[in-house]
Amino acid sequence: MYLTKEEERIYDGERGWANQMCMRILVRLGELFDAAKLVRISSAHVSGVSYKTLGDAPAEFLEALANADGNVKVRATLNPQSLDTEYLGRKLEQSLREKQSNILKQFERMGFTESLTCTPYYLKKPKRDSHLAWAESSAVVYTNSVIGAWTNREGGPSALAAAIIGKTPDYGIHKPENRQPKALVTVDTVLKNPTEFGALGIYLGRLLRDGIPAIQGLGNTSENCLKQLSAALASTGMVNMFHFKRKSQAKTERLEKVCVETRDIKNTVESLSTREVSKPDLVFIGCPHCSLGEIKKIALLMKDKKVNKETEFWVCTSHYIKEKAGEYVAQIEKNGGHVLAGVCTIVSWTEKLGIRTIMTNSAKTAYYAPTMNKAEVTFRPLKECLTTALRG
Amino acid sequence: MPNRTLKGRVVVEGHCKARALVSAKPISFLGGVDPASGKIIEKDHDLCGESVKGKILCFPHGHGSTVGSYVLYSLSKRRLAPKAIINQTADPVVVVGAIIANIPMMDQVDISEIKTGDLIEVDGREGVVRIVVKGEG
Repeated sequence: MYLTKEEERIYDGERGWANQMCMRILVRLGELFDAAKLVRISSAHVSGVSYKTLGDAPAEFLEALANADGNVKVRATLNPQSLDTEYLGRKLEQSLREKQSNILKQFERMGFTESLTCTPYYLKKPKRDSHLAWAESSAVVYTNSVIGAWTNREGGPSALAAAIIGKTPDYGIHKPENRQPKALVTVDTVLKNPTEFGALGIYLGRLLRDGIPAIQGLGNTSENCLKQLSAALASTGMVNMFHFKRKSQAKTERLEKVCVETRDIKNTVESLSTREVSKPDLVFIGCPHCSLGEIKKIALLMKDKKVNKETEFWVCTSHYIKEKAGEYVAQIEKNGGHVLAGVCTIVSWTEKLGIRTIMTNSAKTAYYAPTMNKAEVTFRPLKECLTTALRG
Repeated sequence: MPNRTLKGRVVVEGHCKARALVSAKPISFLGGVDPASGKIIEKDHDLCGESVKGKILCFPHGHGSTVGSYVLYSLSKRRLAPKAIINQTADPVVVVGAIIANIPMMDQVDISEIKTGDLIEVDGREGVVRIVVKGEG
């Protein structure tokens, strides 16, 4: 792998231990995947922020990096944490709050922005054709496919190393030839809502493994539908992008052909519910984190109806969007819902809060919650989720 | 009897000699290995209950969360880490873990030739693994 003079100096330790360690990570990964060089990135997004999933091991490494003057060279954002200080933090023991806060502190010392979201593209939209090093698989697929920026599916540590060096190894999806479709998917049914787009993602992820699909028949879809599709596709598959616009589908003769029918979507939707629960402990919207438009929609659908007393109703988003959505947030919270900023249900302590059953409109949450949260899941479109939360 | 020598690729440099601990199964360091004791805790794993401390840990490849890399760092800080890692196919989780924990590592080695209890030598200069003494049984 070719290194510039400066990259070699970093590799040899002339710029300190933190930079050397990060350069070694990038070079070894580059060699593993036959990269010829490193490319500059315009941003990095790091996963592995929640103390619940990290445990104690990583904090020591993060602290060692920060002590050795590890500093980010590019805009660097963070995935959600396990609790928020305003609502969940108050229900949980102090030691959890402290350990979570220590992890954030180490990231902050290195210059990370405390974005705490899985949708960093709502905070700052990457430029088309720019190279990035993002972890968080749902954002990786969305960014490659919908925004048109370029990023491999990084792991937490490799995205961290890329943030500190400002570069990433040039392999995989950073090469135009690796962004070509391998399968032509015809959707021969009308997908009625974002939840069914999620089901399409789960279905295709299982079927395609790592072959990039060109998907035909989605019609004029909303960004929210594409976000659900991205998150679900990344959950079951190793696919890092999809094509959905006609002009990107010029040469289709040689592609593997896949047809998705109404019953495939119906079966997938049904398979994502582990149990039909009419009174779930938690109704959860916001995986991936809600956009401003989604929060507005929830508030408008709720009107003045109150959340029933036996049900928790959570809407998850970033601090940035929560602030922008002030009036809608106020309305949701006045009616007994909770708009949680910087938190993700999947990596939060739902079990400690006694949550055993979850209803959600997110295919990704439906896929992960049975193992990550040891919860039974009922998978429903937004309107039904709201009806359930608001039933008196 | 001459030493049996297996070729491979050096991922993290280093030279050491220790007893092998061999698994036919992939290892997930997050959730699969206890960072406080160095023991493999994944149920149904063929090494469940074994400690990786001081061993040359041989397994096909890693799997699971990338947070697993940090577990190797944590083991090394507590002196519970394996002395070296030998994989059939290196994957990013284990590679990053070996780098940050400074554990000598090789891949592209035919680990089916190595048995638990063998005394083996990882030679990061030559890019070979030598089976010095076959284990008993």
